[in-house]
Amino acid sequence: MPYLEVRKLEKKYKDFTLSASFGVDEGELLCIIGPSGSGKSTLLSLIAGLEKPDSGTITLAGKDITGEKIQERNIGMVFQDFTLFPSMNVEKNIQYGMKGKKKKEEKKKLSDMLLSLVGLSGYEKRSVSSLSGGEAQRVQLARAIAAEPGMLLLDEPLSALDAPLRKSLRNAIRNIHDSLGLTMLYVTHDREEAFSISDSVLIMHEGKTVAMGSAEELYRQPKDLFTAFFTGEGTKIPRSLVYENEEGTLFFRPEDAVISEESVSPYDYSMHIILRDAEIISCEFNGGCYMLGINYKGYPILAQSATKPRKKSVSVMILKQSLLEF
Amino acid sequence: MRRKGNGYYILRALPGIFMLLILFLIPLSLNFSYAFKDNGRALIEIFTDSYTLHLLRFTLTEAILSALISVLAALPFAAFFSAYRFPLRRTVLTLSGLSFTIPTILVVLGFVIWYGNNGLLNAFLMKILGRDYSVIYVLYSFKAIILAHVYLNFPIAFLLITNAWTGMSDSQEKASYTLGKGKLKTFLVITLPRLRGAIIAAFILIFLYCFSSFAIILVLGGNPAFSTFETEIYRRVHVNVDREGAAALSLFSFFITGILLIITSRTRSVKKAERRERRLKKAEGKSLIAAVFIILMILLFILPPMLSIVYRAFFTKAGDFTLRAWEDIARKSTGFSSSAILAIINSFLIALTSSLFAVLLGSRIALATAKTGSRILPVLSSLPMAAGSVTLGLGFSLLAVTVEHDSLFFSYMLVIASHLIIVLPFAVRTIIPGAEAIPSSLAKASYTLGISRGKTVRKVENPLLSSYKRKAFAFAFALSLGEVNATLTLSDGHVTTLPILIYRMIGSYNYQGAAALGTLLLLEALIVFIIGEGGKKHAVS
Repeated sequence: MPYLEVRKLEKKYKDFTLSASFGVDEGELLCIIGPSGSGKSTLLSLIAGLEKPDSGTITLAGKDITGEKIQERNIGMVFQDFTLFPSMNVEKNIQYGMKGKKKKEEKKKLSDMLLSLVGLSGYEKRSVSSLSGGEAQRVQLARAIAAEPGMLLLDEPLSALDAPLRKSLRNAIRNIHDSLGLTMLYVTHDREEAFSISDSVLIMHEGKTVAMGSAEELYRQPKDLFTAFFTGEGTKIPRSLVYENEEGTLFFRPEDAVISEESVSPYDYSMHIILRDAEIISCEFNGGCYMLGINYKGYPILAQSATKPRKKSVSVMILKQSLLEF
Repeated sequence: MRRKGNGYYILRALPGIFMLLILFLIPLSLNFSYAFKDNGRALIEIFTDSYTLHLLRFTLTEAILSALISVLAALPFAAFFSAYRFPLRRTVLTLSGLSFTIPTILVVLGFVIWYGNNGLLNAFLMKILGRDYSVIYVLYSFKAIILAHVYLNFPIAFLLITNAWTGMSDSQEKASYTLGKGKLKTFLVITLPRLRGAIIAAFILIFLYCFSSFAIILVLGGNPAFSTFETEIYRRVHVNVDREGAAALSLFSFFITGILLIITSRTRSVKKAERRERRLKKAEGKSLIAAVFIILMILLFILPPMLSIVYRAFFTKAGDFTLRAWEDIARKSTGFSSSAILAIINSFLIALTSSLFAVLLGSRIALATAKTGSRILPVLSSLPMAAGSVTLGLGFSLLAVTVEHDSLFFSYMLVIASHLIIVLPFAVRTIIPGAEAIPSSLAKASYTLGISRGKTVRKVENPLLSSYKRKAFAFAFALSLGEVNATLTLSDGHVTTLPILIYRMIGSYNYQGAAALGTLLLLEALIVFIIGEGGKKHAVS
């Protein structure tokens, strides 16, 4: 049985219904991704107890917590917004949620340890209004851990920060996760962030949990077109474009499509599908290679090339085994 | 939007809501019962008497005129203060806030001493011009009423408009200049529409204040022709002893102000957070000279009446130094049944009790309002404002008559209750913006740390309200300290407060004694103002 089990959870709003079922193992870091309005944060609010579901159950460590008060769930949360308490300094914020009757020295020792864990030693007496965005999120993290939660929910904790800071903080969060072995649910809309930090990823779309698996599984073997496009760049073409009179859709990644400026015979490349007389309409250098926008019989195709093509008219070769059928 | 799961906040606010309803409904229902006596004879008389129309016409005229002049006079000053930075700019703006805490009776007293026919200004002008008769005749006229209202409300309009103006980014004006538009055109087409909300808000605030003006009309008007609803209610109670007529009139007045409050609450301006405040230019050369001139103009308008109170407390009319009034206070021989010392203690204790209760109950109502997004609570807490303090005072005086008591304690309780119901709405209104500024995520964060709702309010939300509570306390204390309307209407001779004693001294031409007590009242108002302005605020970002 998973450590956290969400079963047939449902919450209806005026123009939106959330329904979710999934499980998380103990010590796992699950990222929840999906477009804006897909219900990621609502799902987190339901698990935390900030909102009540209409039906379904939430079980944590074998205990049904669906009807329990927020305070009794033992689930910590790090918010996207600034939620440090302005009337307390950094140390007081961290000590605020500490459990049990601890002596002053004990509290001090624990808060110092947590501050060092999040890389903010020496910040004890700082006013929280003097912290930068990144520092504030680190303190939020330390405060949530100080309450010794059974699991930690992080609701887009890095979305308000700039890119380099996001990168360094996500590594810090992963390291803290690994060193404490804490079960974490991490909501983000950033695919790259989710792929880099998670053990597994849950994708949400229009209030529903549509796919779950490791980042590589979801990228390589998406179960539907939404997951395919949401996990990375790609092209979809009608199956009839390749196989006459056959219905359905084919999908492939840009790195699985190779271009040739010379004429290519299908007999020489039996492992490939050849799309001849395609026209390059855009060419963007993205650091490691060129991303080509190609028009084939009115269908837009994305392909990658290590070199910049010299000709406009090219043949596109797609490895058959990389094609996904929907 | 109604936010669910905040029943706890409503529960906390219940004592306040209960108190609000009780203290509002008891006097109002007594007013109703008196107004409807003898098959509503008094009420029918009110509706059929042309004098009621005269009262309405006069009240509306003086309120509109006072608000209009205050706002129009404030505009050019606000324009200058929103364009330049110069020494004393901040100080003048802070001092303008003093208008919120200056008791009306001090304005009355200051005007009598400064602008009176035998006042200091006339004495000064007679000396300069070598005349042996008064140069200016302002007092006891319609002019005096308007001037006193503008005196009290110009700084409020000035402060509200300046704050709104400086808080607006000037990028739209700059864009207009780059499109070839001149300063006047830009002001009329771009700036003025953006300022409209603040201007209307200032106008409404001043209008409502002047609509229920009492002491200024009663003393500075000096003529029954200059009667508002409030002064007429008072006259009917204490001069004509026509309680039914007064009650009927108070209901009519409540009806009118209720309609006005409903109309004005719909025109409340929507506050939009601007990304950047405008950058003020440093005043140099001509603009610096203009700044000095403007500051002088403001100070010369504001300070003399107040300073003349302090002057008159120590100097005789002939200009000789004297401590006679102070000795009288110390000897407890003011010539009235209540000694000055007792009046001072009364005022202080009544203000302290009513403002402490107002903040205690008001902060809970304000937090519940912000947390639940309730539309009913703000309306409920505005009801006593709509009723007006004279109406409430009348209601409590009817209660005193109904209960037939001769207990001093009961008299004190009635005064405290009437002050509490008058200051409570102001306390709620002062704290609501602070409660609304607390992000709901703070409480959620606290709950996820396993902290109870009670502790969350105590440790997280209440500390964030502390500066607003202090401001509300100062405001409520100052209002209670200067309260004349209800106290005078309710007055049964048992409880005399400082403003009432000053009012009586003005009536018996004992200006020196009134000035000495006025100086004490002014000092208390200043201390309260400093308490309200001081202290650090927690930033909520």
